[in-house]
Amino acid sequence: MMERTVGVRRVAARWRLPERPGFLGALMLSPALLYLVGLVGFPLVLSFIYAFSDVTTGNPNVHLVGLSTFAAAVRDPVFGVALRNTFVFTFFSQALVIVLSTVLAFGLSTDFPGKWVVRFLILLPWTTPVALGAVAWLWMLDSIFSPFDWVLSALGLIHQGTHIPFLGQARLAMGSIVVLQTWRMLPLATVILMAGLTSIPQDIQDAAAVDGAGFWRRLVHVILPLLQPIMLVALLFGIVFTFTDIAVIFVLTGGGPDNSTQVLASWAFYKGINGGNLAQGAATALFMFPVLLGLAVLLLRIASRAEVT
Amino acid sequence: MSEVEERNQESVATGMETAWTSRLSRREFVQKVGLAAVGLGAGPYILTACGGGTSSAGGGGGARSQLTILQWSHFVPRYDTWFDAYIKQWGEANNVNVKVDHINQADLPARTAAEVNAGSGHDLIEWIAPPSALEPSVLDLTDVVQEAEKKYGSQLAVCKASTYNPTTKKYFGFCHSWSPDPGDYRKSLWTKAGMPNGPVTYDDLLNVGTTIKQQSGVRVGIGMSQEQDSNMAARALLWSYGASVQDAHENVVLDSDATREAVNFMVKLFKQAMTNEIFSWTAASNNQGLVAGQLSYILNSISAYRTAQQTRPDIADDIFFRPALQGPTGKGFASEHVIMIYIIPKWSKNVDKAKQFLLDLVGHTSDIVYQSELYNFPAFSKTNAQQKLFSAGGWLDKDPFGSHPADKLSLLKNAASWSVNVGYPGPSNAAIGEIFDTFVLPNMMASAARGTKTVDQAVSDAAAQCRQIFAKWRQQKLVGGGS
Repeated sequence: MMERTVGVRRVAARWRLPERPGFLGALMLSPALLYLVGLVGFPLVLSFIYAFSDVTTGNPNVHLVGLSTFAAAVRDPVFGVALRNTFVFTFFSQALVIVLSTVLAFGLSTDFPGKWVVRFLILLPWTTPVALGAVAWLWMLDSIFSPFDWVLSALGLIHQGTHIPFLGQARLAMGSIVVLQTWRMLPLATVILMAGLTSIPQDIQDAAAVDGAGFWRRLVHVILPLLQPIMLVALLFGIVFTFTDIAVIFVLTGGGPDNSTQVLASWAFYKGINGGNLAQGAATALFMFPVLLGLAVLLLRIASRAEVT
Repeated sequence: MSEVEERNQESVATGMETAWTSRLSRREFVQKVGLAAVGLGAGPYILTACGGGTSSAGGGGGARSQLTILQWSHFVPRYDTWFDAYIKQWGEANNVNVKVDHINQADLPARTAAEVNAGSGHDLIEWIAPPSALEPSVLDLTDVVQEAEKKYGSQLAVCKASTYNPTTKKYFGFCHSWSPDPGDYRKSLWTKAGMPNGPVTYDDLLNVGTTIKQQSGVRVGIGMSQEQDSNMAARALLWSYGASVQDAHENVVLDSDATREAVNFMVKLFKQAMTNEIFSWTAASNNQGLVAGQLSYILNSISAYRTAQQTRPDIADDIFFRPALQGPTGKGFASEHVIMIYIIPKWSKNVDKAKQFLLDLVGHTSDIVYQSELYNFPAFSKTNAQQKLFSAGGWLDKDPFGSHPADKLSLLKNAASWSVNVGYPGPSNAAIGEIFDTFVLPNMMASAARGTKTVDQAVSDAAAQCRQIFAKWRQQKLVGGGS
């Protein structure tokens, strides 16, 4: 009888487990946690191990070689170009994104005829798979058959038969990549900022208007400061996505001409996967890690301090 | 339906209705979701353990083995249609369930790398470039090559050098066919410029190509971009000038006067006969430009021509071919355009059937050549394709796919004599593979042509990169030589 009672209590205790504080929360979080550990944490640890080894695509056996793989990665003449390009690509595209998305968010927050069509068109790039969007741009920027050439020629701005080397000249190629990345990232930043705009209490704006503040004064001294934390979130997402992006460069230029648009992510791929030098590819990619970690910590701290009140 | 069955069904239906319509407590919800999750998660394993998860077309015969193949989607769609039908028949005849996955050739390196890292995947993988870096993870196929040579004659030098590592003395792959990379030119343009049969030497290309550009604005289309056609063009030029990345003993010899001469030529060719469109070349650019009448000469396989036959027959009739152009040495070499190589990874569970598949495939070389519309050429000297392809009045003399004139492709009869592997005069080793896939040579040409480096700087920087890459692979003991 005694044993039976203990058994019943044990069963009851077992079924009360879900009601214990913290258990249900942990249970619900566990799939996301498993996902992060499996698909982010594990590859990250693996890339650290690879970067300190001489592993290749054909030989996954790990022999640790200290820092020599990092030294080889840095000695590679393309590495310096890729490092600089990663910052240039990120800075210019995100500067454009933050300015344009702010303008768009203000525009789309007001009422005008056809607003939903405009919103749909602006959000379209975000719904398009990146590879598909990049291939469409590749065709538009083709060295022989670009429709931009045709339009410019029709407008009399260039001679008929002239081809602008959008992807064949280093600065134009980098400019094209920045424009494409801006086109891709703009919708996300715009949506985030539109959400931020709706969160600004209307009475604060009304009070400023009653005090005689015009549009620009309200914008500069009321709205933008209140929007700043949200803007930083949009910027953080944009920087992280752009700093690690490979698709745009891979499809549009392949890192060319003459490696002049290579970024760390693309060079790591070419060196590590296509070239078979997996260790050097991992080492190259890991140079992004401290920058991203620092940026994430910095921007999150700024964002947490500047709360909307 | 019996009364009992009806009752059971009714009971199940009622139970489901009750479950979904009644309000669940949080505890019940968690219990049910937990059980469902366990069921869903464990279900496949339970099924597999019970033998229910691996149903096969054989229907429980048990003796039927499995073979999985990963290979590129051929540039000529007809080939894949034929191959899929062929492999089905082969599987039936050999009591094997065969599954073939076709993927874009550009995705093969990443997919193969993933399988190597996972230590599992397909039993056979076909590459269209020498997979030399994969040697530690694949089987030595010396026995298959020897057996094939017994049956089908000696293997061509270009195929052997693309699959055999003289340092380890292993065949890391099995080449069953390859494609030549001739010059393609627009006859009408070259006729107008006084050279109706197209260029013979690189000097012809420079001089007459310049004239054509001045006459009609139509350019020469040799890429200096980060893609494979540019890679092959750079190598063809170097070899024809007597230069190369490595010598026959795998020592780096790129930093030479012959290389500087070749790069100087490319700079001149760019300035006089091309425009900077060639710096953003993609694999399709030269085909598109030739067919659109924008280019007078390109280096490519016959695939561009086959496309034109379908889409622009009038243009196709104006496209003609030339063998590799001769440099100042009087010799002309071109890279193989595509080399079809199967590897058998060490994880393969059906090695015997995989090897049998390779041998049987060579026995069907005639089909391989025909179904690829003469894109693939035989890798062995005495297959059933030789007579049909090379003999007088054969396919190259009388193109079964409608060339005008019918013997337009006959110059490819001796393509094997001017086609070499990408590592020529050495083998296609892992270092050559990395140099190829990181585009060191087209970038060397491009940096000099763009003027970002002098010719000397461009050559010396590229040679330094090559030496570094060779040193790394020598440490892996996959590459010979010492300098």
